Amino acid sequence: MTDLMSRRRLIGGLAASGSWLAACGRIDQQAPVPQLLDAADGFTLHAQRLLIANRPLVRELSPAQISSSFPMNGTTLPKADYYKRLLDTQFRDWSLRVHGLVERPLGLSLAQLQALPSRTQITLHQCDEGWSAIGQWTGVPLAQVLALSGLAKSARYVVFHCLDKIDLDGNYYYESLDLFDALHPQTILAYGMNGKPLPVGNGAPLRLRVETQIGYKNAKYVDRIEVVNSLQSIGKGRGGWWEDFDHAVWYAGQ
Amino acid sequence: MAATEPTVLPDVDYRHPLPVRVWHWANAVGVLALLFTGFLVFDIHPHLYWGDDGHEGMPAFLSLTGTGLELPVPQTDLAIGDHHWNVTGWLGSVIDDGFGGHYLLAFSAPADWDFGATRGWHFAFGWLLSSSLLLYGVYLLASGRLRHRLLPVPRDLTLRNIGHEIAQHLRLRRTRGAAARDYNLLQKLSYLVVIFGLIPALILSGLTLSNAITAQFPDLFLLFGGRQSARSIHFIAASLLFLFILIHVFQVLVSGFFNLMRSMITGRFVVEKESLT
Repeated sequence: MTDLMSRRRLIGGLAASGSWLAACGRIDQQAPVPQLLDAADGFTLHAQRLLIANRPLVRELSPAQISSSFPMNGTTLPKADYYKRLLDTQFRDWSLRVHGLVERPLGLSLAQLQALPSRTQITLHQCDEGWSAIGQWTGVPLAQVLALSGLAKSARYVVFHCLDKIDLDGNYYYESLDLFDALHPQTILAYGMNGKPLPVGNGAPLRLRVETQIGYKNAKYVDRIEVVNSLQSIGKGRGGWWEDFDHAVWYAGQ
Repeated sequence: MAATEPTVLPDVDYRHPLPVRVWHWANAVGVLALLFTGFLVFDIHPHLYWGDDGHEGMPAFLSLTGTGLELPVPQTDLAIGDHHWNVTGWLGSVIDDGFGGHYLLAFSAPADWDFGATRGWHFAFGWLLSSSLLLYGVYLLASGRLRHRLLPVPRDLTLRNIGHEIAQHLRLRRTRGAAARDYNLLQKLSYLVVIFGLIPALILSGLTLSNAITAQFPDLFLLFGGRQSARSIHFIAASLLFLFILIHVFQVLVSGFFNLMRSMITGRFVVEKESLT
């Protein structure tokens, strides 16, 4: 079911529809229709930001409510040799890079991340496909990592570059948040799940939990955090893999 | 009897003021687009659960599953509770995922369908639906139309009238004469249920699927009994709305299509004379 679910979204299949993607690129630049879609998404973003200006916390659940099984959606094992080597050494040689519009670019090993003050939360994960599951996540608040690196004045978005290639055309997964969602107290870089180290299928060594958002914003296998002023230069410019290749809306908060 | 006084009454009523007509068509566009995109979203995970937690492997009270997806004729099974129906050929369309595998959709989707955009359009039309309903609700209250046209009056509620209306509907008998000037009781009730029941329930249960919204309004979970319950209620209410539309369109077709369409476009409705034959 796991790989299947990520593929379900790719009706027609990327492999079979390179020309379709090219056509979409054309549509993006010319037709007003996708612009209308993005305008509606922008409207949703501003309306919701008015509603949640006080940054309310999402509901946290009790240990008894944790799902006995938690779907592993999207990539469940990154295929690159690089990832296999990291896995063999239990991510000892891996470090999270933080760069871009920051005052101090950082490289933080898993041990260093785990030494920072942590947050543990039991929350409801929702996939845009419709299913949901409850898990417990332990990690370091993203706000804390960004405070360590310091943000340049022009910083507006936080981009997550991942270790997994979700499709066949060689693109690594990527996602992005604006500072409002990035600095939310429940937005954490999780290295633990249900009291254990984060499983490979759920995004080891590090995944994003952004509890105010839908599934695909919660990037797995986070390798590098880039702070930018605009999403134009990221991928095809819509801010994330699904946004670029499936026309998903960037502000998925609904 | 009303039939004896048709000469006293004008033949043409100005039945639908402009706000009613604008709302009707804005709502029609919104509802049709939402039903279309909504069923495509349902397509990708055709299982309904109760409570907060719900994913494959968990008990679903409604579920569409396929077996032998790689075979020329895959079998599809619809389960509601403990009842199973083999719906091969009726529901369930199997699609090649482009990676050498197959999966099941409830309905067939366009070959180049992108799911992400479908969901985005659903929200875009959600704005159309909810903003037009809000404006229309204000209009209904402020203009007195709610009281004058939609709320039942005492004579609607007599047993004799209720029995008469049900019989007229079952016989597909068209209302003529003075009685055609007002909505009948069944019409009033169905409009009230749609405007004040189904559409608000759809909007609220849809909002309950948003993490950001429920962070601010956690009582929505209590109202619907959990995240998956809200999703299930959303689909059930959408199905009821779809049923309403089928009946609504059918009745327009059998009750004087041109007259009714004209009245919803220009506002003018011709009252047919009552005939005793």
